Amino acid sequence: MNCWTRRQFGCLAGAACLTALAPRVAKAQAKSRVVVIGGGIGGATVAKYLAASAGTIEVMLVEPKPRYTTCFFSSLYLAGMRSFESLTHGYEALAQNYGIKVIHESAVAIDPAGKTVALKSGAKLPYDRLVLAPGIAFKFGAIEGYDEAAAEIMPHAWNGGPQTELLRRQLDSMEDGGLFLIVAPPNPFRCPPGPYERASLVAYYFKQYKPKSKILILDAKDSFFEQDLFQDAWTRHYPGMIEWLPGQFTGGVKSVNVKDLSVKTQGETFKAAVVNFIPAQMAGELAQQAGLADQSGWCPIEPTSFESKLQPGIHIVGDAIQSGEMPKSAFLANSQAKICAFAIAAALTGSDRFAPHLFNTCFTFLAADDAVSDAIALAPNGNTIKISEILISEVGEDAELRRQVVQAANGWYTAFTHDVFG
Amino acid sequence: MARQAAPARTFIALLLSTGPLAFIVHPSPAAENNQGAQLAAMCAACHRLDGLDKGIPSIIGLDENKLAGMMAEFKSDKRKSQIMGVVARSLTDAEVADLAHYLATRQKGSERP
Repeated sequence: MNCWTRRQFGCLAGAACLTALAPRVAKAQAKSRVVVIGGGIGGATVAKYLAASAGTIEVMLVEPKPRYTTCFFSSLYLAGMRSFESLTHGYEALAQNYGIKVIHESAVAIDPAGKTVALKSGAKLPYDRLVLAPGIAFKFGAIEGYDEAAAEIMPHAWNGGPQTELLRRQLDSMEDGGLFLIVAPPNPFRCPPGPYERASLVAYYFKQYKPKSKILILDAKDSFFEQDLFQDAWTRHYPGMIEWLPGQFTGGVKSVNVKDLSVKTQGETFKAAVVNFIPAQMAGELAQQAGLADQSGWCPIEPTSFESKLQPGIHIVGDAIQSGEMPKSAFLANSQAKICAFAIAAALTGSDRFAPHLFNTCFTFLAADDAVSDAIALAPNGNTIKISEILISEVGEDAELRRQVVQAANGWYTAFTHDVFG
Repeated sequence: MARQAAPARTFIALLLSTGPLAFIVHPSPAAENNQGAQLAAMCAACHRLDGLDKGIPSIIGLDENKLAGMMAEFKSDKRKSQIMGVVARSLTDAEVADLAHYLATRQKGSERP
């Protein structure tokens, strides 16, 4: 039974409930409004769980795009193992099943004092609480020659959508024997195993169709997440095909030239057939404009409610936040969003709150029949969020176990996207 | 979930239907929001709460003692699962009991909320 219902019942059964209830009645009639900006994993999950767990809250979801394409699993599409359509999800179920008002417009400004959001059309949405899920922005211009126009020639493909399709077309049309160059970003960035999973799956594609091709990763970092698992898999599945160069070896990428598809490091210039340039990242643009990001470029939050430490009444979830030991992943964005939704419901309706638990699992493909996973439990700890438990797949695991992880990964994608959009 | 809460709400509606407070009672789409439900929301990132899982074990509609027992085995590593071991070890016994109770009440095809 619902806690809210029990409390209501207890009061209603009491003799003097009429007077005591009056303020609550007025509040219920007024209906609080929560505006959620951003219909990615974090935003859509907050909207759904707020609407599901607190019927007295009006939930509006502001998202310009009619459909959302996941960046996670997009390297399976690059490798020809998934369709683009299978990565794309609409908002119809959120509107129809949960009564969420989905507004397909861009939010252009936030007025924290007036508690309104301005839309591109000029309309203003008043709110009682605002949730921002702005995702990431790229630091265009940080590397000479790499700006938004350059991304149309050297795609980042680090947002699901047209960029992913562009990179796929480039890989399709690449001749056998060409060089596919990935520029991997500095920490922190969305999806820590992502660039290396991409290298693995493009290698899987090359092995079948373009076996003379090579892959070079120019990394800003000197090590990367699950490095031992990836390097073991590259040796086993794609011997001699993938080369990874750490930042300390190359001195880092200094500039790019889109005219001849070259990437220059401190001491060398590499010419490629296809370049996947994944830039350094920061919190999405609206978070920067609204003063929600600190000097790190990311948004600090209160760890039990995901309310901004810089602007009270505004909550932030997803890749835009930086708190303690949380990696940037879709799974964690979903986990954060639920904690945030329960906290807002408690603040606006008086519903119960419990000790928050956050979880993260990344399923990472190394080949079609070889995948690994990590599992992380996190919880608020003082002013931050810390890992309480962590387990990661190990080198040398049985092939059958790895096949089971592939099966679990595909099942997870279906369940997860249903949890967010279904 | 709204369906499960319906009898209580209906009772309240009946209580109020003839009185001056009748106007405050509307069928609400609100789901259960207790500890079991909030923990189950975390499970829903992998396990569908309508039971229509593919490739991931369904966790709904099981006997709650059996489910709590499985979680204890994940916690002690008697039952091997990297992911579930981490999940189980992060929860207290009381949390597991609330979660198992909630999941046991779920039926296949029912959706949250």
